[in-house]
Amino acid sequence: MTTALLLGASLLLLLMGALVSLLLARERRKSGWSSVAFVGGAATLLWLVSVKTFRAGAEPELTLVRVPALGAGLTVSVDCLSALFLAITASIALLTTLFSVEYMTRYPRDSVARYYPALQLLFVGIVGVVASADFLAFLVFWELMTLASFVLVAFEGDSSSSQRAALKYFVVNQAATLGMAAAGLILWKQSGSFHFSALHDAMGSLLTSQSALAHVVLFLFFIGFATKAGILPMGDWLPDAYPAAPSGATAAFGGAMTKLGVYGLLRVFLSILPLGPATETWGLVLLLAGTASLFVGTLMALQQDDSKRLMSFHVIGQVGYMFLGVGLGLFFLRSHPALAALGLMAGVFHLLNHSLYKACLFLGAGAVHYRTGTRSLNALGGLAPFMPLTALCATTAALAIAGVPPLNGFASKWLLYVTAIQGAQRFPLFAIVAIVAMFVSLLTLASFLKYLGGAFLGLPSTRVGLREVPASMLIPQAMLGLACVALGLMPGWPLRLVHRALIGAIPEAGLPRFGALLGTGAALQVSAGSAGVAAWGPLACVGGLAVLVVLSILIQRAGGAEVRDVSAWNCGEEHPTELVRYPAGSFYGPLKHAFRGIYPALTLEPPHFPRWLRRAFDVDTWLYLPSAGLVVRGAAGLSRTHVGVPQVYLLWILLGAAVVMGILLGVAR
Amino acid sequence: VLTASLVLLVALPAAGAAAAGLVGGRVARRTAAGVAGAVAMLSFFCVFAAGPEAHQQSLADLPWLRGTLDRPVFGVLLDPLSAILLLVALPIGFLTVLYSTAYLSESNRDHPVAERESGRYYFWLLLFLASMAGVALSPNLLQLFLFWELTTVCSWALISFHRSEKSLRAAYKALLMTQCGGVAFLLGLLVVYVHAGSFEFAALARLGEPARSSAFLLLMLAAWTKAAQVPFHTWLPDAMEAPTPVSAYLHAAAMVKAGVYLMVRTAHAGSVPPALASSLLAAALVTLLVALASYFLQDDLKRLLAYSTIAHLAYVLLGAALGALGSALAYKAALLHIACHAFSKATLFLCAGAIAYVTGSRSISALGGLGRSMPLTATAFFVGVLAVSGIPPFACFWSKFMLLAGAVQLPGTTGPLLVALLLLESLVSFGWLLHVGQKVFFGAPTPVACVNSDPPWPMSATLVVLMLGCLLVPLVALPLVDSIGATP
Repeated sequence: MTTALLLGASLLLLLMGALVSLLLARERRKSGWSSVAFVGGAATLLWLVSVKTFRAGAEPELTLVRVPALGAGLTVSVDCLSALFLAITASIALLTTLFSVEYMTRYPRDSVARYYPALQLLFVGIVGVVASADFLAFLVFWELMTLASFVLVAFEGDSSSSQRAALKYFVVNQAATLGMAAAGLILWKQSGSFHFSALHDAMGSLLTSQSALAHVVLFLFFIGFATKAGILPMGDWLPDAYPAAPSGATAAFGGAMTKLGVYGLLRVFLSILPLGPATETWGLVLLLAGTASLFVGTLMALQQDDSKRLMSFHVIGQVGYMFLGVGLGLFFLRSHPALAALGLMAGVFHLLNHSLYKACLFLGAGAVHYRTGTRSLNALGGLAPFMPLTALCATTAALAIAGVPPLNGFASKWLLYVTAIQGAQRFPLFAIVAIVAMFVSLLTLASFLKYLGGAFLGLPSTRVGLREVPASMLIPQAMLGLACVALGLMPGWPLRLVHRALIGAIPEAGLPRFGALLGTGAALQVSAGSAGVAAWGPLACVGGLAVLVVLSILIQRAGGAEVRDVSAWNCGEEHPTELVRYPAGSFYGPLKHAFRGIYPALTLEPPHFPRWLRRAFDVDTWLYLPSAGLVVRGAAGLSRTHVGVPQVYLLWILLGAAVVMGILLGVAR
Repeated sequence: VLTASLVLLVALPAAGAAAAGLVGGRVARRTAAGVAGAVAMLSFFCVFAAGPEAHQQSLADLPWLRGTLDRPVFGVLLDPLSAILLLVALPIGFLTVLYSTAYLSESNRDHPVAERESGRYYFWLLLFLASMAGVALSPNLLQLFLFWELTTVCSWALISFHRSEKSLRAAYKALLMTQCGGVAFLLGLLVVYVHAGSFEFAALARLGEPARSSAFLLLMLAAWTKAAQVPFHTWLPDAMEAPTPVSAYLHAAAMVKAGVYLMVRTAHAGSVPPALASSLLAAALVTLLVALASYFLQDDLKRLLAYSTIAHLAYVLLGAALGALGSALAYKAALLHIACHAFSKATLFLCAGAIAYVTGSRSISALGGLGRSMPLTATAFFVGVLAVSGIPPFACFWSKFMLLAGAVQLPGTTGPLLVALLLLESLVSFGWLLHVGQKVFFGAPTPVACVNSDPPWPMSATLVVLMLGCLLVPLVALPLVDSIGATP
């Protein structure tokens, strides 16, 4: 009861916040700060729900509104998996809103009436999706989320590319959603209810009676969620849409909304699909789709020169890692619960990490955009001396996404590699998958070195008016960056939460306890049987490094070596200018040429009808007007008989009488 | 009291029409708005007073028919079915009148209208309201037919209101085509009377076989022409020559809705031969696809919306056909769609009217970037697009979803196939309407679109109410629809 109450209160706060920010829209900052207040209140409540659920377990679900005609209702249910997503959403929501307050002052022509209300409705949608245990309610909130994000993508009213991106975004996602609606309806036909547990039973019976249809249903769900998550081949909208939105919103998309695709996938494939051979098949599909898109997405990211577009392609790549983890987990769910648990944990932990560093990166790109007015890496460079803290946060997040130890991205990727390599003993394909994933991690690093180098390093920029962004924009970045470090140093702590969430979501799978999977200590230890296979102790590594650093400083002090100040060597150039700078566009030329257009692009065009079809549609010209003309001509012909001469009329009478007589005679005979 | 109020629902607008026609000018405008407002309130009162129960009262008889019938000819009937049409026709009628008070003025850049014309306009519009209330409250086929023909006459007068060559031609076309349907209606009516000795809706089910099929086929023809279904759809896009509030009323709440209302009244599982129900279904599908294809060929905003209306009426008929094939859910969905579509489409039309009022243009290619100067109209238009395409939480989502749920219940592969077709239609039409919305309201302002502001307050207020309606209609209509039993 309290859970539902808290959730309801937080949704109410968000809706009120949307209304208040709409009313205050004429004053940008006021509108922004009021949104921060309302989102902050809602985030606090959501955190309370999350903490309460993790401590006391899930409360029994509560159905608030019923639609008896459809066997549906607004059913609230928060288990640990939902609680995890609620916590992520709450944090990202608050930080991105706070960031937006100052950021949104740089759009003088577009009213924030289309920003803050939509942003808060987006959070309403996300919370609703995560807290619903009824498919119809899930769908309604899911669409609310899409609708709100459409408004955010279309925010720049004058930019035709934004509008095109927004249209593509909405139409592609709507197609996916309609597919999911169809899938839900097919299951509903079996059970007569939209509750997830009823869908579970329906799926079970459908798999035994009509397995082809059951796989169609699963395919539709898969496509639906893969589209939202940006997975190949349905993610083409993503690199267009994400950069078009204001950066605060992009961070919310990347930090929270994309993750809902993975959430939906977990719900469908863990809670709706009964454990059986189909789990294995779809696990394989998921992990192959994930591998393909992490490869392709990252390769495309390497080729981008627009900072946000680059990061958007990395969303595709990173979600690929999550799909890979979840797919591995599903594949082993029946045969090897320990490996399954590791794979699922790796996927979900990566999701958590990605929320943090991707939000931080988008905010960083936004901060740069805020000060310089451009996102083109070719036009940027040398910002680090002016924006040191932004540069620091961006570097942290960039290293985290590239999987550099001891940051959080490394911990989840490490777990993923360990799972894949261990799984390769049972299914050799996974060795290739693991190698691809590791190689792509390298590509990620390469592409973010390009970003860091292109934006922050190089000769100090000559732009005027450059300085650090205001505190309200720095704090969100700093907190996200710190979180990346903290989760990287102590991965055991979040992993325990992820483990609890997964155990709660699939009770029948019998996943092993956390201690049996990753050891009881601070370091992560994976063992097969009694032998240890792999271990990662970030604190020990960092501690060792720190000792070495201290030692080297002490040695330097003791040696009394003097420190020389020299300028950096610049290939012998005496007067370095902008012209000889190595611009971002020149990075990785061979890869650009070899893999141009590797991601299939979709263009939406109105149909062109052949001429005959157009004519066929025009019923008037070939049917009605000619028949009307026929009537008119016939009438004209008939009227010609009316000549006004009595003799002629007499003649007609005679003729008529003759005809009648003839007929009568004929009939009589 | 209830019977008296129901009679008032018809009598009051008729009296108002006479008054407005007589006085003319500014007074006519105020009278019309007052009367329409009162009638709208009264309709809410009646529906809530009657509740889910059917309320039927006979009032008068024709002397020469006395004795040959089981029930007197004239009366009132209020059940959830008529309540839906009533709650659509009268409140939207009021909003139309309210909107017209500002739209019909000298400052309209599309069609300036002189003050002295308003008597004529409000006479026909209020008469239209009265005849729609009559259609909704008719307890039998004969009375329904009488009011049905009255709506045809009203629409003829209103379509030709501007008295230009083009509008006269369009009105004549509408009259001619719907009149053909009227003749079919009359013939169907006579078949029922001759074979069953009754005009009751239920009498259709009592007919023997060849008679029942022929009667229903004739009624179906009547509904197709009235509801502008392929191939009788061509009068509706031409009828866009009417003043925009009239178009909105004609499309959203009146005239065409009378056509689909006839079908939901008469097409029940017991009364319709399955072959005819299937042909109703097939015709609806063909109409859906033809209307969808025609979207891409339109440049006039109102004509585009007209084709969208044709498609949505096909949805209602599809639901009725599915209902006749045995799906109670699809039948309810059809009813719900009448209400949901009414509010969504009225919103869209009145937005198109607001644009024409301010800019003097309805051409999609000439308009662009209006959102900055007309934020309210832009919001309303997008709400209308989302509502009409069935994006939750807006109105048509609920009716379309119920319809899909009804369709999926069909046995075999027909159900999933139908669902796939409907979803495809939804997606493509949604994409196109959204594209048009973006074209008109975003981007750089075109020369035509360099205007200053949203329309005057009666029009803006109407748009705000309709936007709320797009969101809240299911709350009122769903319980009403739900109270209809499995066998209506």
